[in-house]
Amino acid sequence: MSLQKLTISELLDAYSRRTLKPSEVVQSYLNVLAKSNPTLNAVLQVDTQRSLARAKQLDSRESEIAKLPLYGVPIVIKDNILVEGWQATAGSKILENYRSPYTATCVERLENAGAVVIGKANCDEFAMGSSNEHSAYGAVKNPWDISRVPGGSSGGSAAAVAAQMCLASLGSDTGGSIRQPASLCGVVGLKPTYGRVSRYGVIAYASSLDQVGPLARNVWDASRVFEVMAGCDGHDSTTSAQTVPRYTELLKTASMKNVVVGVARDWLEGVEGEVKKTFDESLELMVSAGAKLVDVTLPSSKHALATYYIIAPCEASSNLARFDGIHYGFRSQQKSSLNDLYCLSRGEAIGAEVKLRIMLGTYALSSGYYDAYYLKANRVRSLIQKDFEKAFTQCSVMAIPTSPTTAFVMGEKSDDPIQMYLSDIFTLPINLAGIPGISVPCGKDKAGLPIGLQFIGKHFDEATLLNTAHSYEKVRGQWDLPQLGVV
Amino acid sequence: MISTEDVLRIASLARLSLTENEVVLYQKHLGRVLDYIKDLESVDTLGVGLATHVPTDSVAFREDKAVDSHLAAALIKLAPEHEAGHFIVPAVMDADQ
Repeated sequence: MSLQKLTISELLDAYSRRTLKPSEVVQSYLNVLAKSNPTLNAVLQVDTQRSLARAKQLDSRESEIAKLPLYGVPIVIKDNILVEGWQATAGSKILENYRSPYTATCVERLENAGAVVIGKANCDEFAMGSSNEHSAYGAVKNPWDISRVPGGSSGGSAAAVAAQMCLASLGSDTGGSIRQPASLCGVVGLKPTYGRVSRYGVIAYASSLDQVGPLARNVWDASRVFEVMAGCDGHDSTTSAQTVPRYTELLKTASMKNVVVGVARDWLEGVEGEVKKTFDESLELMVSAGAKLVDVTLPSSKHALATYYIIAPCEASSNLARFDGIHYGFRSQQKSSLNDLYCLSRGEAIGAEVKLRIMLGTYALSSGYYDAYYLKANRVRSLIQKDFEKAFTQCSVMAIPTSPTTAFVMGEKSDDPIQMYLSDIFTLPINLAGIPGISVPCGKDKAGLPIGLQFIGKHFDEATLLNTAHSYEKVRGQWDLPQLGVV
Repeated sequence: MISTEDVLRIASLARLSLTENEVVLYQKHLGRVLDYIKDLESVDTLGVGLATHVPTDSVAFREDKAVDSHLAAALIKLAPEHEAGHFIVPAVMDADQ
């Protein structure tokens, strides 16, 4: 079997049987990355020497395999997450020369568990986008069809996993930025409960919504990465002190039997025909495996998009005020006063979509508009949260398509921001409610493009979420990634 | 639709210099999004509380102990212009002020 075909669990088996060494595996992934990345532009930085040196160190720690749950696993990290010594541009020109002075807690935990960082993934600038066309370093292409977008904002992280450049990657999800690209690239993507994973060392977009999560080839692999990095962190006061279960242990007894799956049919309007058909077939598969379906309603979710596009830009306009031409990276070279220096540095180095969201937030928070926009949106957010609380009294998980469409053609939605924002219609409410969601591949459309199925869980109940998603994978059957060499 | 003056006022509050083409673009795009989010006006939120915090079951506290981060020197080196541990900025007031 080709090395690239192995999942994390199979790779760990091979390591424990001493049939492979981390340096061979990392070298092999770096080779694939070098071959495919010029076409896909999924990864912005590699550091072959550093990654191989780390892999060689791990070669000599073979006796510790049992204590290192991600021993020798090559991973890619979204470029808005800090890894000491590596760049962290967040896809923006304003951070083009930024070198991380420290490592984010989530990455530190993965590295301590034996993972090897082999690249920094391209993304929409400051994680704002649904197509990865808004990166200052060029668009990412979808490995299933390079004329199409990989989704966003963690498009590079999703494309890297789909193109077998790495075994898992980290993304960040503020309104769907892990799950939607996972869906469009045919991989698994998990957005944990808000507060489950530390945001220390993650460049902030909207602090009440941002959450880091894994992208991987299957639910077991994503669960392994997640269980290693989740949990309380003294550097992030929003992390929960709740114990993190060993999710991969719980998966051993996972079953679809008697799982009550909530389906909000009133929410399914506007879903593309083939996506809807595949979603319905997935529900039937779950029922055949013993799940029970119940109808639930989420009446306020139709307002989620408007709510999100007030709250997230408001938080972004505040968070991104720090990029001022003085503290970080880019500074305008035009001679100017202090105020002009701020305006010119930001004007010259921040991209179009980010400027739009900063201005939206500035407008919504400005004198005379605060009550009508920000406070109103927060009240509607309460209603959305209550809808989910009520729905979860009837079911243990919910199912919905991840995205209303499969991967769209590059440029197709560039002229109208609302058309682009609608790509996240099924993922945004989950961030507003702070609950976890996971996208799992569930089929393909006629063009052969992957379709994602999203499961939604209760606060801090990733165990049920992952068990259901894993059980679904078993009834769905094998899922193949796009063939190597096609890209 | 919002006016050119509105776009320039918001850009100034947000400390963003815009080109003439950008002003035209944002007049269109800001107008489009602001029209869309008017949707919320129709939602009855009388008596509904604010969701200013996402519900987390517990808030973590660390021990109240001073910890050295040792990061200041590394952070300042990332600034475009710095000297002796300080950020360099243009004069805040002009000489004739």
